[in-house]
Amino acid sequence: MDKSFFPYRRRAGLLILIALTGYAILSLLWQGIRSSSDIPETDPVTIHEARIRQLKPLLPPFGEVGYATTVENDRIFAAERAFQNVEYLAQYALTQYTLAPLIVRNSPDLPLVVGNFLDGPPALGFLERHDLVPVKNFGDGLVLFRKEKRP
Amino acid sequence: MTLFPIAALLIAMAGGVLLTFLLIPSLRASAAGLAFGIFAGGGIGLGVASCLYFIALLAGAIRYIPAIDIGVCLFLAALCFYFFKRPNTPDCRQPAKKGKWPRLHLLLAGIFSVELIAWTTTFVLAHLKEPHGRWDAWLIWNMHARFLYRGGGNWREAFASGLDWSHWDYPLLLPLSIARGWQYSGVEDTVLPAVMGFVFAVLTLGLLLCALALLKGWVQGTLAAMVLMGTPFFVLMGASQFADVPLAFYLLATLVLLLLQGRSPNVRTGILLLAGLSAGIAAWTKNEGILFLPVAAASLLAATAFAGGWRQAFRRAGAFLAGALPALLIVLYFKLRLAPAGDLAAGLGPAALSERLFDWSRYTEIARAFFVTGLSFTQGLIDIRVGMQLNPGAVNILLLTAYLLFAGIRVEGRDRTGLLQTGAILLLMMAGYFFVYVTTPQELSWHLATSLNRLFLQLWPGAILVCFMMAGTPEETPVNVDGQGSTTVPQPAKSGPARGKRQRKREEVR
Repeated sequence: MDKSFFPYRRRAGLLILIALTGYAILSLLWQGIRSSSDIPETDPVTIHEARIRQLKPLLPPFGEVGYATTVENDRIFAAERAFQNVEYLAQYALTQYTLAPLIVRNSPDLPLVVGNFLDGPPALGFLERHDLVPVKNFGDGLVLFRKEKRP
Repeated sequence: MTLFPIAALLIAMAGGVLLTFLLIPSLRASAAGLAFGIFAGGGIGLGVASCLYFIALLAGAIRYIPAIDIGVCLFLAALCFYFFKRPNTPDCRQPAKKGKWPRLHLLLAGIFSVELIAWTTTFVLAHLKEPHGRWDAWLIWNMHARFLYRGGGNWREAFASGLDWSHWDYPLLLPLSIARGWQYSGVEDTVLPAVMGFVFAVLTLGLLLCALALLKGWVQGTLAAMVLMGTPFFVLMGASQFADVPLAFYLLATLVLLLLQGRSPNVRTGILLLAGLSAGIAAWTKNEGILFLPVAAASLLAATAFAGGWRQAFRRAGAFLAGALPALLIVLYFKLRLAPAGDLAAGLGPAALSERLFDWSRYTEIARAFFVTGLSFTQGLIDIRVGMQLNPGAVNILLLTAYLLFAGIRVEGRDRTGLLQTGAILLLMMAGYFFVYVTTPQELSWHLATSLNRLFLQLWPGAILVCFMMAGTPEETPVNVDGQGSTTVPQPAKSGPARGKRQRKREEVR
């Protein structure tokens, strides 16, 4: 290959690299600036945390509580795995994130159960089937239940 | 109060920097070496501090952690003071190159500064949008930090909680680093995890820049850092507060230190100990690091044996593993005594394993995902409902390939063994990831869609390093082209090229 061609080729490579990396960085910045107008005053995780935090005075600091939501508990993970709905899993994980180190079990069969019905009420008969009695309704789909022992 | 977590970070990083200069005193001989020591040492210090915090947790002594950290730092400073009274040895010094394009340096520095400001602004905007980070941050890393910090004396309970979906088998570097900062301030906030994400992203960027400045010159370093900054997925992952960027840092630090060692014909124990420590900390960061450690050790052994014989290979690999041992012992204790079985190990019986290994459709699906993701992962987060779509964007592996074609391949003789070894590590890691997918008990398409782009990102700084180590520098004039199509460089007599026995013999024959 003609050696005199090398410097031009290298300069061309340099220019392409600078142009493309510069374009990538600036377009990412532009996207960020454009979407910054859509940034809510409070992000969804913080909102969810504030909502769930209301439960804390009524819950023990350690130990376990149960969890109930709009769908049956086994659907929480199945819906995410099937790429159908990640919201149920996100709401459950954020409940655990807020209440840590208290363990939130994905089951309605514990003495105290957090009801998180942000996406609507549970199926008809769900609460009765699991003997769940409301302890306090915090509004906005958040209810603390206790499990009533059957005679 | 906000000063205390910053103090936690600074004390940890200072300890790592002191340790780095103690183990590699020659780094003090050049500006690039000093900067490299600060970036590499800073990250390694954070890893060591996390290990110390874990030991303090086990011993029930977290109250004393600031005193322990300061004590370690003062001890290392005293050692530095004692040893650095001696004149330093400039064996790592990059011979000063007379720039034929002095304007190029200024131009690149200017462009780099503007891009750095844009990159930092993008990072801050991404953080403001999601101050708690993205999915895995609050599902895994920050959640674990909360359990460890809030749990007090009951911190062990989380590991036996059965909350498998939060992956309690994942190593604890990031959660412990966050909990350590909260311990310093006594207050839990969302700023520290974000700062941690930013610090690791900056450390990775700085490490890549300074490593190439040290090994190949400032121009190559600056260009490589530009490529990493121009990777949208890198900035998004950093702001997302995932552990993939910290892992990328430790993988890169190990690769660079092994390259530095590869340049020397002698066994440089300090560099190898630090490389081993970095690889050990990688294993303490994510499970992928546990694969990286044996891969790096085996590649070091094989590459050194090829170039310099088995005796030297065992000495180098021994020093590397000795460096990794402290962190490795912590990982082993964690895995054997605390962590539950991982999801990948579940259902991995001989029958299931054999069925997956001989299911050729899995290989096809994984190979396709590797191809599409390999070209597209740099572009950012994906919609897992549709999976990774072909979207190369501006910065990707094709850009590196094109740059190599334009700049030409120019590998110095002293870097050949090191580059061979680095390339082998990256390829073996990819092969390892491939077979993890082949044997995974998870639903394959879900597993690929939710993780493969992050696995590639972990190796991306290493791939950029290899590319710019191979590429000719723009300020160079072309020199002789050998018969194999690559250019050769006359070696400076005193720069100590890492020629192995075979190469020395070849040169003698010539």
